[in-house]
Amino acid sequence: MPIVEVDHVTKEFQLGQLVSLKQSVVNGLNRLVGRPFEGRKPFKALDDVTFSVEGGEVLGIIGHNGAGKSTLLKLLAGVSTSSSGRVSVIGKVAPLIEVGAGMVPDLTGRENVHLNCTILGIPKKEIARKFDHIVSFAELEEFIDTPIKHYSSGMKVKLGFAIATSVDAEILIVDEVLAVGDLAFQRKCFDRMEDLIKRQGRTVLLVSHNIRQVERLCSRVLLLDHGKVINDGAPTDVCNVFYELSDKRILDTKLSAATTSGRTLTSGNAEIEYVVMLDKRGNSLTAFEYLDDVEIRVGYRILADLPDPIFSIGVHTTDFLYLATSQSIGSLSTGTLLPGHYVLSYTIHRFPFLPGVYSLRLGVALGGSFQAVFYSENVLSFQVLGKQINRAVQSHYREGFVGLDGEWELTARELTDASSRAAIAT
Amino acid sequence: MLYQESSFGNGFPVFNFIKNVADNRELIATLAWKNITVRYKQAYLGLVWSVLKPLMLMCIFVVLRSFIGINSGNVPYPVLTLAALSIWTFFQESAADGVTSVVGNASLIRKIYFPREVFPLTSVSTKLVELGINFAVLACFMAWYGILPGIYALWVPVLVFYTVMLSLTIAFAGSALNVYYRDVSTALPVLLSLMMYLSPVIYPLQLVKNKLLIEQAAGAWSGKLYFLYTLNPLAGLIDSVQNVMLRHQPPDFEAMLPGFCFTLVLLPLSYLYFKRAEAHFADVI
Repeated sequence: MPIVEVDHVTKEFQLGQLVSLKQSVVNGLNRLVGRPFEGRKPFKALDDVTFSVEGGEVLGIIGHNGAGKSTLLKLLAGVSTSSSGRVSVIGKVAPLIEVGAGMVPDLTGRENVHLNCTILGIPKKEIARKFDHIVSFAELEEFIDTPIKHYSSGMKVKLGFAIATSVDAEILIVDEVLAVGDLAFQRKCFDRMEDLIKRQGRTVLLVSHNIRQVERLCSRVLLLDHGKVINDGAPTDVCNVFYELSDKRILDTKLSAATTSGRTLTSGNAEIEYVVMLDKRGNSLTAFEYLDDVEIRVGYRILADLPDPIFSIGVHTTDFLYLATSQSIGSLSTGTLLPGHYVLSYTIHRFPFLPGVYSLRLGVALGGSFQAVFYSENVLSFQVLGKQINRAVQSHYREGFVGLDGEWELTARELTDASSRAAIAT
Repeated sequence: MLYQESSFGNGFPVFNFIKNVADNRELIATLAWKNITVRYKQAYLGLVWSVLKPLMLMCIFVVLRSFIGINSGNVPYPVLTLAALSIWTFFQESAADGVTSVVGNASLIRKIYFPREVFPLTSVSTKLVELGINFAVLACFMAWYGILPGIYALWVPVLVFYTVMLSLTIAFAGSALNVYYRDVSTALPVLLSLMMYLSPVIYPLQLVKNKLLIEQAAGAWSGKLYFLYTLNPLAGLIDSVQNVMLRHQPPDFEAMLPGFCFTLVLLPLSYLYFKRAEAHFADVI
């Protein structure tokens, strides 16, 4: 029996401001005589969302900014109502949406604990019982009788978190609250959440942009995009889909901005006409699988004689970290190129970079003098996909960019005598 | 509390209302305590400020009366007008506060669900404390003039409850409308201060009665005009408060009846509108 059920829920908002009195009158008149009038456009924050949550489940909700995550949580918390569809929640819901919503600066810490606990629906007797625990968790024993307007922002969120997590509700709704305080306190918050989830068996709905955290805490993840559920399942799978979606988004912005950013230096004697990446069958593409073979094809137009040109092709990240370069010197001898159109092809076997978005840089130099004829960065952006790779563990900035190509082996060690066996036993 | 099931389902709105109030009494009390604490925490004179307004108005009216002459019957004028001002100030301030209460708590409305009538109710409860202080001051004045409250003073709680209902009538509809049109919170204080002159605050109701019912000053229209005047619930109410506290008389039910019926119609409508609008507060606010 699911304790949270969301059934074909759609939430629409009217975009724009309150219309002026004049506009209202004009609209009203037009409506009366049946002429079309300019109303405010509806915007679907949630579009036909359906899912259910069983008791004890920890559901992560991820998605880009504006995907509808917070709107969904608001519906579940009962703060807002859906335009159509049905939301049903059995049991008490405690919202941890932006902890400290009810904090009053002029009141002391003690008074704020009482106030906020009451707002969260904790009975008076319970508050008295939990008070010391809340204060010690927030590490604020010294300052509890100081008005919280004198608190640092870190102290405020600590107090807010301590209060919010002391509610005895079956269902906890958590919106980006784990990133509070310093590292030590974040650790504490995380442990508290794990305790609530794993040992007390609460049902938790968690929204976060910290995908690692979502993957670690949740038993199931829902991916929202433009108000629609586009994936629902095991955390690793859904998180991977999300990473790919993020990469695609970066790629899209890169493609549209490709001509405006990145340096281009040219002597005027060479220019590029086109750059494409091709798969084995010769199809043009901007995304391919990790370890695929790809061919980069560049159309050059040469405007003056180029003696023994050296071509180079490099790969860099979207923030211009140069990762690899290949030069044609020693492997391609062309003699002097006469003016005309040329097609340069470079094939990379088992493309080694881990999933992510990368870009190409190209260059042409004269042989002998190494004088640059043409150089350009950020010429073409492309995406490396990785269905089998767990991206939550292997993201660029922690795990590097290149996959190692090696073989693993594990064998049991043969034990020769009793003494070494005893040494291992102890 | 934080129960998810709709707080406004089937059944009579009256019962739902009573249930919601009962369920949330701790919250209302705590929020009212917060309002009072916050308002006076950084103020040296504290709660004295709440007494100051009716007292100063009383002084002005006493001076005014020395020019124009208002017959206050056998009750000293300062006490008579202070009694009227106590109940009037309570009504005016709780209604005005109630109207801004929903918008003023936007941060809570966007985050947490509990029945939204908690906010107007909190405003009224907060002002109830100040009314208590004003009544204490009134008692001092009565002692000074040697007026003892009689057995009819037992009516006071009932009349205060009636005033609360009047404030809520304005606060429910007003606070919901104010979410959509902030004009309401700007217009209301103006309208309320006009309403004071239409209520027997400066002058006793007896003067109006004399003029319209006895002297028939407006000819054939006198009766109708008096009815219109008493359609304002405050007219009968203020007079009754003066009756039971100062004149040792029962409330003037005849003067209260039109206003009471009017309120009986308006209050449920106001509450229903509030509950209908409530669902969209978080989206619009």
